[in-house]
Amino acid sequence: MADILLYRPHFVAFIILFLLGMYIMVVNPNLVKKLIGMYLMQTSIILFFIILAVKKDSTIPILLDSATALPPEAYANPLPHVLMLTAIVVGVSTLGVSLAMVIALYRQYSTLEEDEILGKMK
Amino acid sequence: MTSNLPGFLFAIPFFAAIVIPVVGFTNQKFCRPIALGALVFLSIVSVIGLSEAVSHGPLSHEFGGWAPPIGIEWVVDGLSGLLMVAISIVSLIALVHAGPLVEKELSDRVIPFYSLSLLLIAALGGMVLTGDLFNLFVFLEIGSLASYVLVGVAGGRSLHSAFRYLILGTIGASLYLLGVGYFYAETGTLNMADLAQRLPEVIDSRAVLTGLLFIVLGLAIKMGLFPLHGWLPDAYTYAPDSFTPLLTSVVTKVPLYAFVRIAFWIFGMTTVSTQIPILVVLGWVGAVAAIVGAYLAIWQENFKRMLAYSSVSSMGLFMLGFSLGTETGFAGGLFYVLADTLMKAALFGVAGAAIYQCGASTVTDLVRLRRNMPWVSTALLISALSMVGIPPTAGFFGKWHLVVGALEAEKYFAVTAILVSSMLTALYFFRMFQRVWAEPLQLVEPHVLETPFPIRISLGVLTFGIMALGLGSDLVMGLIFESVIPKGF
Repeated sequence: MADILLYRPHFVAFIILFLLGMYIMVVNPNLVKKLIGMYLMQTSIILFFIILAVKKDSTIPILLDSATALPPEAYANPLPHVLMLTAIVVGVSTLGVSLAMVIALYRQYSTLEEDEILGKMK
Repeated sequence: MTSNLPGFLFAIPFFAAIVIPVVGFTNQKFCRPIALGALVFLSIVSVIGLSEAVSHGPLSHEFGGWAPPIGIEWVVDGLSGLLMVAISIVSLIALVHAGPLVEKELSDRVIPFYSLSLLLIAALGGMVLTGDLFNLFVFLEIGSLASYVLVGVAGGRSLHSAFRYLILGTIGASLYLLGVGYFYAETGTLNMADLAQRLPEVIDSRAVLTGLLFIVLGLAIKMGLFPLHGWLPDAYTYAPDSFTPLLTSVVTKVPLYAFVRIAFWIFGMTTVSTQIPILVVLGWVGAVAAIVGAYLAIWQENFKRMLAYSSVSSMGLFMLGFSLGTETGFAGGLFYVLADTLMKAALFGVAGAAIYQCGASTVTDLVRLRRNMPWVSTALLISALSMVGIPPTAGFFGKWHLVVGALEAEKYFAVTAILVSSMLTALYFFRMFQRVWAEPLQLVEPHVLETPFPIRISLGVLTFGIMALGLGSDLVMGLIFESVIPKGF
C-alpha cells in the first residue's frame, strides 16, 4: 500500500479525483454541482489514460532526422493522447447537453435544487 | 471479405440526420419522408449485409485503408448482421408509428425529433458494427446523448428523468472507458479480434479482471440491468410517446449486444465461465431481475410504467439465457432479444396510441380501447400474450428455448426463475385483460375512433411480425445456430 503512494502517486490522484467526482455527482442535490462532479470524474479518466503513456525523458513521436527513426523507448506512446482527445470531445458534448437540460429545468421550476424540483413536480 | 457495406450502414442514417435540419429549415414537411426513406434504404442494405455475411462469411471494412490492429475495422458477421436488421426494421416501424404523435405532442420540435432519432439509429448501428473497443465507446456516447435529449425533448416531467438518465448514463460510460483503459494498458491493443488473441496470455492479471468488471458494470447501467435500472422506469414513463417505441425496443438491447460481444467473442465462453466466472454472477443477477421486475410491474397503475418494469424483467431473462453456458441457452437468449424488440415496440406503440386517441394512460383507462379500436386492441392482445409466452407467438418460442437451454445446463434455479417470472407476467397482463375486456361496458365513450393510418399499419406490422417470428422460429433458430453461435460452446 505504502509503495503505491511512493512510486505511483498519480494513480492515487486519479482514484481520489474519480471517487470525489462520483460522490459529488450522486450525493449533491444541486444540479450544477452534480455536473461539476461529472466533469471531474470524466477528467480523472483522461488523467488515467495519460498516465499510461508517461515515460521519463521521452519526446514526442516524430522523426528527428530522416536517417534514423527514434527507438520506441525514446518517445511517449501517442495513442492514449489521441484517444483522450476524442474523450474530451465526448465529455464536452455531454456537458453541453446537460447544461442545456439544466437551463430548461431552471426555466420550468425556477430552482436548481433537485429536492425542490421533486417537491414541485408533485 | 472486404466490402464497403458496413460503412454504408452507418452513413445512410447519419447523412439523413444531417440533411433533415438543412432541408427541414425551409419546409418542415420534408423531415418525415427523408427519415422514412433513409430507414427503408437502411433496412434493405442491412438485409443484404446479413445475407452476404451468412452465405460468404463476415464482411469487414477498414477505415482509411489502415489494416485492423492499427486501424479501425467494422465487421458485419452473423450477430451484428442480425442485430442490424432488427434495429433498422424496428426503428423504421417505430418512426412510421411516431408520425401523428410527433405532430400532436412535439409540433414545434419535428426537426430535432427526426434528426436525433436518425442520429441515434446511426450510433446504434456503429456500436453493433464496430470491431474496436474505443470506437464502441464513442458510439455509445453519441447514441446515449441522442436518447437523453429525445427523452427530455417534450419538457415537463420528462426533463428531470432525462437529467437523471444522463447522470447515470455518464457514470456507466465512464466506467466502460476506464475498463477499456485497463485492457489497453495490459495488452496494448483496442481491436476486438487482436484483443481476443492477446488476452489468453495475460488472463490471470488483475488488470484484465478489473477492466472486465468495470466494463460489465458500465454496460449494465446502460442496459438497465437490475439493480442498476434506476434511470429506466422514469425515462420510459415520461419520455414522449412518439419516442418510447424506439427507446424501449432497441436502445437497451445494444449495450447488451456489446456485453455479449465482449464476453463471448473477446474473452470466450470458457474464460467467462471458469477462469473469470462472471457468468455465474450474471446468471443469478438475471434470475433475480426477471422475478423482481415482473413483481414490481404488478403494482403499477400507469400502463407505461408497468411496461417499463416488464422491460427490467426481460433484461433479466436475456442475461439469464446468455449466462446458461449452453448453445440452446445462448440462441434462445438471442431469439428472445429479437422477439422482445418487436413486443416492446408493439406494447409501447399501443400505449402511445391509447394516449393519443383517448388519453388513456392507466391500466384502468385501457377499457376505452375495447370498442371501435380493433387494430390497437388486437396488437395489445397479441403482444401481451407473447410477453406471457402463449404459443404460437414469438415470446413463447423464446422462453421455450431458454427453458430447454437451462434444462440442458442442469441449472434448475434458472428454470424456476423463467417460469416464475412468466407467471408473474401473466398475472399483470391478465389483470389488464380483465380490466379491458371483462368489465361492463358503460365506461366506453362512443366517440372514440380508430387511430390514424400510420399508427394502425405499424401496429399491424408489429403484430404480424410477432406471429411470423413465432411461426418461423425454426428458420431463425437455424440461422442463429449456423452462423451466430461463437466458438467455445
